[in-house]
Amino acid sequence: MKKKLLATLLVGTMVVAMTACSSSDNNGGSAQNNEGGSSDASGSYDEIRLVNGKPEVDTQLQALAAKYKEETGNSIKIESIGGDTSASDALKGYFQAGNMPDIFVSETNQFADWDGYLADLSGEAWCDNTQYEYVDEKMGTIGYPYMVEATAIAYNADVLEAAGVDPASLTSPAAYEEAFATIDSKKDELGLTAVIGYCAEPNNLGWSTGTHIFAQYLDAGLAADDTTYIDLLNDGGKIDEARMTNFAKFIGMFNKYSDPDLLVDGTYDNQVGNFAAGKYAFVTQGSWIGASLTANENYSGFKVGFAPYAFEDGMDTIIAGPSSYWAVYSEGNVEAAKAFLNWCAGDSAQNILVNDAGFISPFDNCKYEPSDPFAASVISYMQAGKTSGWHTFLKKSGLENRTCQVFADYAQKTLDESGFVSTIGQVIADYYAE
Amino acid sequence: MNILSPVRRITSYVCLLAGIVMFVASLYMDITGVKNDARGTLLVVGVLLIIAGLYFFPTLKHHRTIINILFLFPLLFTFAVTVIIPLLLGIYYSFTDWNGIKMTKMVGFENYAKMFNQPAFIWSILLTFLFVVFNMILVNLVGFLLALLCTTKIKGLGFFRASYFLPNLIGGIVLGYIWQFIFANVVTEIFNQPWSWLANSNTAFMAIIIVYIWQYAGYIMLIYITGLTTVPRDVLEASAIDGANAIQTLFKIKIPMIASTITICTFLTLTSAFKQFDVNLALTGGKGSIPDFMGKYLSNGTEMIALNIYTTAINDRSYSLGQAKAVLFFIILATVSIIQVRISNKKEVEM
Repeated sequence: MKKKLLATLLVGTMVVAMTACSSSDNNGGSAQNNEGGSSDASGSYDEIRLVNGKPEVDTQLQALAAKYKEETGNSIKIESIGGDTSASDALKGYFQAGNMPDIFVSETNQFADWDGYLADLSGEAWCDNTQYEYVDEKMGTIGYPYMVEATAIAYNADVLEAAGVDPASLTSPAAYEEAFATIDSKKDELGLTAVIGYCAEPNNLGWSTGTHIFAQYLDAGLAADDTTYIDLLNDGGKIDEARMTNFAKFIGMFNKYSDPDLLVDGTYDNQVGNFAAGKYAFVTQGSWIGASLTANENYSGFKVGFAPYAFEDGMDTIIAGPSSYWAVYSEGNVEAAKAFLNWCAGDSAQNILVNDAGFISPFDNCKYEPSDPFAASVISYMQAGKTSGWHTFLKKSGLENRTCQVFADYAQKTLDESGFVSTIGQVIADYYAE
Repeated sequence: MNILSPVRRITSYVCLLAGIVMFVASLYMDITGVKNDARGTLLVVGVLLIIAGLYFFPTLKHHRTIINILFLFPLLFTFAVTVIIPLLLGIYYSFTDWNGIKMTKMVGFENYAKMFNQPAFIWSILLTFLFVVFNMILVNLVGFLLALLCTTKIKGLGFFRASYFLPNLIGGIVLGYIWQFIFANVVTEIFNQPWSWLANSNTAFMAIIIVYIWQYAGYIMLIYITGLTTVPRDVLEASAIDGANAIQTLFKIKIPMIASTITICTFLTLTSAFKQFDVNLALTGGKGSIPDFMGKYLSNGTEMIALNIYTTAINDRSYSLGQAKAVLFFIILATVSIIQVRISNKKEVEM
């Protein structure tokens, strides 16, 4: 009998435990629903969620959400997830769990995965004010540009001036060769460690060589909508050998003039830090280093700008455009998301995005001038129409992990120029064939 | 007590029936996506009613079995949710074209055929086996020598034991970044090399082994210390009286006496070396060039299986292919472990 009593007691405990757990879950669920119901009653939208892939601007986006609430009475919840790759992983988890946000960050080559789940944003008011929205032939306008990022060869204008090099003249490989040689000969008096901070380390900086510098092979010198080389690449991994050879020569020049301590086993922090300290005249990064530059204690406030990757004569464009977009989940609250995105293109939101978050605005009617040191240079290229596209994000994903190693071998001199061209061609073809 | 009252019979049936109806209804609502606040309550109450119905089930013969199962249920349920279901789902996904978001069709053995056509993956398998062999020997050797050192009568024994064990308490990722710095800035100075060991596949592989030993030998040392201290004093004394020197004592007495410890340690190092991931990821990220392997240039010269699975699924966004590799990995690991335990057990019996 005693045993039975004990058994009943234990079963009772188990039951209580189970109900306790489940009831708390239930409360959470119903609370959310109530909240939704009340905002419905006020005649506006339910709360929506945005997954942001740039944790460095989380504070500014929270401020944006607060401003949105203040101006329209609608609320939006910002969730920041570090790095674009991990944001896309987290989103897959959210998707499996039925917990998708209404707006989420996506890079161009991730759109195809979400085919059928993205809302078409064409015809929205903001579309008229930008040329940077992402339009897919089949899915329509699916990417909302929230910022513009640029990449080219960043230069220290003060050093170039002291060395007597005019950055505007850097539009041919010969001009670069001459400029590099001139600066190299004056390294000591200019206080430089090396002419250029180029790093081919594959593990932590593989994204730089494999995606961003490789982007120059795909797009340098082309019009923003010219897809010649990305189309060739995506057609089974073909490369244009003549163009690649010129590109290889140009990278070979980087190998020669880069800081030897940085070239093979450097880190991003060293690369950007040394540039900020004025130890390099050039650095192979993009506009995203602006914030680290101004935050660096060794930064003396020198002027910076971008010069094109002129590996062929007459190349005078930089790559500029959104490197990632905000997409709207078609099974979420599409109307509320559209309303928010429209508001984001407006004046008060642009004020926060440009002045506080340091973004370069993709919208033509934005009147704010960002404080970012690279902004003036990027905007001058944008206004002159000298920008090329970010087609590098359309390459088969994972390719950068293969090609970055070829850059590293080239830097270590285990591959020569022709070896670089043939190896990278083979690696790309093999990966596309998989 | 032995008479089953009709009330009990009816209670049981009613409970079971209502429970099943509620349970199925809530699941149906979930699958069809009907939004209903009562769904969760319905599910829980349904499950509870089913449990109550089973408890009152009118049978004398099976009553005890039912109770046993009911008590085991929370554990079985947890085990199923966390181990069995993911394993089966994983195997299922490996036969589809799942990309982490959606699957459109079954592809049969296509993923399995594909992975064996990837020289990079085959390289990863070979490299992992090589790594396991090196580590099983070296970690055990170093761990055993440290254990011998730490069972002698040297001064500051506690300090040595603690400091050898300390690296094991640091996470692999952190360790990887610390050593990345050491290899890039300290080792290059000592050996006067132009760049880090991590820049070349061969030396990078050595570097991973060194870091792994540094991390794991202390842990194995602790187990060996426990083993060595359990060697009976009388046996050691007897051998000393018989005139055995230190070497003879070690090889003829101590090592045979701790054979079971050796089994445990080799097993531990074997499986953990196979599953090596974090140090690999943080130290080299699997990068490194192999100029010519099966006629291909490889860029994953230091990538072991676990990391290869991760990069396939995450970076290359081929979840189903990664899943197929993971299934193979599971099979390899299970086979090797079983063989290893069998062999070790036999050996112990012979002694």
